[in-house]
Amino acid sequence: MVEFNAKKVTELHQHLHSHLPSESALRVKALETLLLEKGLINSESIDAWIEAYTEDIGPKRGAHVVAKAWNDADFRQRLVQDGSSAIDELGYLGNATGHLKVIENTESIHNLVVCTLCSCYPFSILGIAPAWYKAAAYRSRAVRDPRGVLAEFGVQISNDVEVRVWDSTAELRYLVLPQRPSNTDALSEDELASLVTRNSMIGTDRDLLKKDEVKA
Amino acid sequence: MDGIHDVGGKQGYGAIDVDEVDLYATGKPFNHDWEAREWGISRCARTPDINIDWWRHCRELITPIDYLGRPYFDTWVQTDFVTYVDGGFFTLEEVCSGHSASASNPLNEAPPKPMTRADAVIADRQNACRYDAEINQKPLFSIGNRVITNQHGHSGHTRLPQYARNRVGKVHALNGAHVFPDLSAQGRETHQHLYTVVFETAELWPDSEHKHDKVFLDLWETYLSLDDLSK
Repeated sequence: MVEFNAKKVTELHQHLHSHLPSESALRVKALETLLLEKGLINSESIDAWIEAYTEDIGPKRGAHVVAKAWNDADFRQRLVQDGSSAIDELGYLGNATGHLKVIENTESIHNLVVCTLCSCYPFSILGIAPAWYKAAAYRSRAVRDPRGVLAEFGVQISNDVEVRVWDSTAELRYLVLPQRPSNTDALSEDELASLVTRNSMIGTDRDLLKKDEVKA
Repeated sequence: MDGIHDVGGKQGYGAIDVDEVDLYATGKPFNHDWEAREWGISRCARTPDINIDWWRHCRELITPIDYLGRPYFDTWVQTDFVTYVDGGFFTLEEVCSGHSASASNPLNEAPPKPMTRADAVIADRQNACRYDAEINQKPLFSIGNRVITNQHGHSGHTRLPQYARNRVGKVHALNGAHVFPDLSAQGRETHQHLYTVVFETAELWPDSEHKHDKVFLDLWETYLSLDDLSK
């Protein structure tokens, strides 16, 4: 029975600190071995999940959502109104997107997403988060110095643009809807999706490439 | 809990690794094979009967030097070990020796069936958890209300970060009633109205040069009181 006893857990952590192998790979191996020996997991399923998050689930889903929103005003409206049910139309609802909020960048607003308390991320549409998103440097600075963080990513925000930071403190997850680059009217949805960067959907990228900057 | 995990606004962590390769562009989203293994384990291993809030709290309780010093997915491994021991699935002796002392399944059930990649995609979709529920109580606050956050946290799990305590913000949105993490992490599932509250940068960081930039947080009702000026 789980006792929800923080003191006990703190002691367990301290104990494991001195008794687990120091190398990360060995620690995971030890965990997998114990789970296998106890019949709580099988290796094929672990492989299957890795393959799913390599081949099927990742930021290309988010890019598709963004491109579709650029191309289809009705979809965009549904997406902003109820992100979870709109991405479900595309089969992308899943892990950590049960309460998805889509926030729109405009000429005068730039949005940036962070999780200061852990590293919450909308897995089923963006896949595995980049390491920087989970690191203390980004998590600590995004709420206090978002313009400095953006400048570090090469994104300069002028003074007439308001920066809005979204700290994912509950089970709501946020996806930034970047602005559509100009001169992209003739592009197909797939071509539009190829312009959408992973970082632009977190908010650490803003001006996506224009059509004439894309190599033919 | 005023722990090492609550890093919002803390200083001294230095530069962000903005040159990190976008791993999805290389076709392999993990930096190391062991990270991929831990991701897979976290997706499909049977676990004791715990919830996300208790798991998060267990992660927050990692020794600070390990919390900050170990790679991110390694802290998941550490948290998993602790929740398995705490839940009675592993003994400490088994963890230290690296092997199970008995072949019996702690749940007395057959091992899970092997999944395919297609099964995993379907299972991911089924994992779209919702945390909201209808409750009888009406929300105390409305959009536009000025609210002040609690000055103090408490020693258990909570989702009101230190940088946003005792600060005045405005209710931006009502999100219905969601599972209240502070009690959920004690094994008690209750629901409480959840608000998106917007704070001006000047309220959070008086020395900021961009006073009208904004920070939005999702906060539960008991983290908030109506600010005097609204009354």
